[in-house]
Amino acid sequence: MRGGFPVASSVGLAVLLFLIAPFAALAFATGWRQFHFISGDFAAVFVSVFYSLVALPIIALFGTPLAWWLARGTLRGKWLIEAAVLLPLLTPPLALGILLASLYGPYGPVGALLEKVGLLLTNTAPAFVLAQIYGAMPYYVITARAAFESVPRELEDIGLTLGKERWQVFLAISLPMARLGVAAGLALAWVRALGEFGIVLIIAYFPHGIPVKLWVNLEDSGLSAVYPLLWLFFLVALPLPLWLGIASRRRGIF
Amino acid sequence: MEIDYRLERPLRIEARLTVAGFTVLAGASGEGKTSLLKAIAGLLPAEGEPYRGWPPQRRPVGYLPQGYGLFPHLRAWENVAFALPERSGRREAALALMVRLGIAGLAERFPDALSGGQQQRVALARALGRAPELLLLDEPTSALDPATRDAVFSELVEEIRRIGLPTLAVTHDVHLAGMADRMALMAGRRIVQEGTPREVFAAPVDGRAARLLGYRNLLNGVIETIVGGYATVAIEGVRLRASAPAWGEAGQRVGIAIRSEDVALGSSGAEPEGCNALALRLVEVREEGLSLRVAAHGSIALDILLPRSSPTDGVAAGMSATALIRPEHVHLFRVAE
Repeated sequence: MRGGFPVASSVGLAVLLFLIAPFAALAFATGWRQFHFISGDFAAVFVSVFYSLVALPIIALFGTPLAWWLARGTLRGKWLIEAAVLLPLLTPPLALGILLASLYGPYGPVGALLEKVGLLLTNTAPAFVLAQIYGAMPYYVITARAAFESVPRELEDIGLTLGKERWQVFLAISLPMARLGVAAGLALAWVRALGEFGIVLIIAYFPHGIPVKLWVNLEDSGLSAVYPLLWLFFLVALPLPLWLGIASRRRGIF
Repeated sequence: MEIDYRLERPLRIEARLTVAGFTVLAGASGEGKTSLLKAIAGLLPAEGEPYRGWPPQRRPVGYLPQGYGLFPHLRAWENVAFALPERSGRREAALALMVRLGIAGLAERFPDALSGGQQQRVALARALGRAPELLLLDEPTSALDPATRDAVFSELVEEIRRIGLPTLAVTHDVHLAGMADRMALMAGRRIVQEGTPREVFAAPVDGRAARLLGYRNLLNGVIETIVGGYATVAIEGVRLRASAPAWGEAGQRVGIAIRSEDVALGSSGAEPEGCNALALRLVEVREEGLSLRVAAHGSIALDILLPRSSPTDGVAAGMSATALIRPEHVHLFRVAE
């Protein structure tokens, strides 16, 4: 083997096999002869993809300023804000779902208020998107923040001395230079949003997204009903992160 | 242009100096020269004129940091176009600037495909796009190849002279100041001396300035007499003749600075009229490039640099010799009484 790291490369290979083994198992376990989707599968794919596409721009739009602020802000007690961003990430999804239910649910303070203006945040489309945002946004913020921190401050300073306003410097220098990390953050947020189960289970069991539908299929019809939807899940979840990963390594994606 | 700035953070710095033409501010590392430039550009909080209280994006300065700070994700012409207004003809305007600096051929390259000197030109063109009234250069030679450093730097100085933009360059390399129109010395986080390079190099105001300027022989003495434009200075029992400074008077304590290369070795009795002659023993002789660096002890200790154009045959440690120093090469400066 090239490189002369026999221990590292053989351990690396073993770990690689370990990591992809479940995916190989799926290929064997799938009953290809009886491969068929059951009622509601495609609806679930639509729900997952459509609402993730709604959640992702919201996450980017509001998460980017926060990530930027965390990277560049110089205020006292910043660690508190950092902890606040980490909190939803560190909370088990199921627990977070319960917290959201008690805040946005019909008997929660915010939920009761919103219900008066006709916005119901339990088992509705907005509830589904809300669950996705809570599940995915911290991942985006933390990744994008690290990306912004890696941009040399000096280059932003020069942008200012060249007569540009801060927002222009952000768009022309910070964002393009941080594009690898920001793209990684978006990819991560996308798969988190699509795969969100714990929070969704509590506050947005309906409409069924793919994860909940997988669970329902497993309960109602057994494993054979799960595999086809699982294939579909990979098919819709993976292209975007893969494309972002590859494209952002080239210049000029933004 | 008069610069008068005071900083509290990250260092306490006070700097008042005149920028006229290409001005070099020299000082040791850690003097806060970079902080001063950033303060003038508005990137560090400071009190001072010009541009008091203006945000960096309003200040008409062109700031070139160490390493030039080109935007790595933009092509050379896009870097140059950065400060130009967003309208059609932006690319043409950037190319025109690049033509002016002789770098039009590099327009499509990314910064990592440019040499240090080319990057410097692109950064200069980019700064000119902002139409600055003052140019700030931080260690302009630090990213240049040592072999071509002086040539590239003097071309830069010529270019800037041609453009006619007042420029303040800071460096720890006092040698660069020799090519400037004006220079200033920073020591103890203040400006201790300024003037033309000729004035400053010839008459350091104090020991720190002298050391910065490359004087290796720094002594203390007292002026005994001043006769006919020459002062006789007593140093630990030795007497040296020096050009008398305007401020000098008999009985005054003074500092004495002598450049190593201004000391020649000769034999006693053969010195030219009026030249100082000191009997010394050579303690250490070592090669320094093509020259010889000699440490000599006698009544006073001297560091001597013998160029290869001087007779160096037979110069060896242990031998006795006479050090010859012309009075105009013995520089006196005031010391605190």
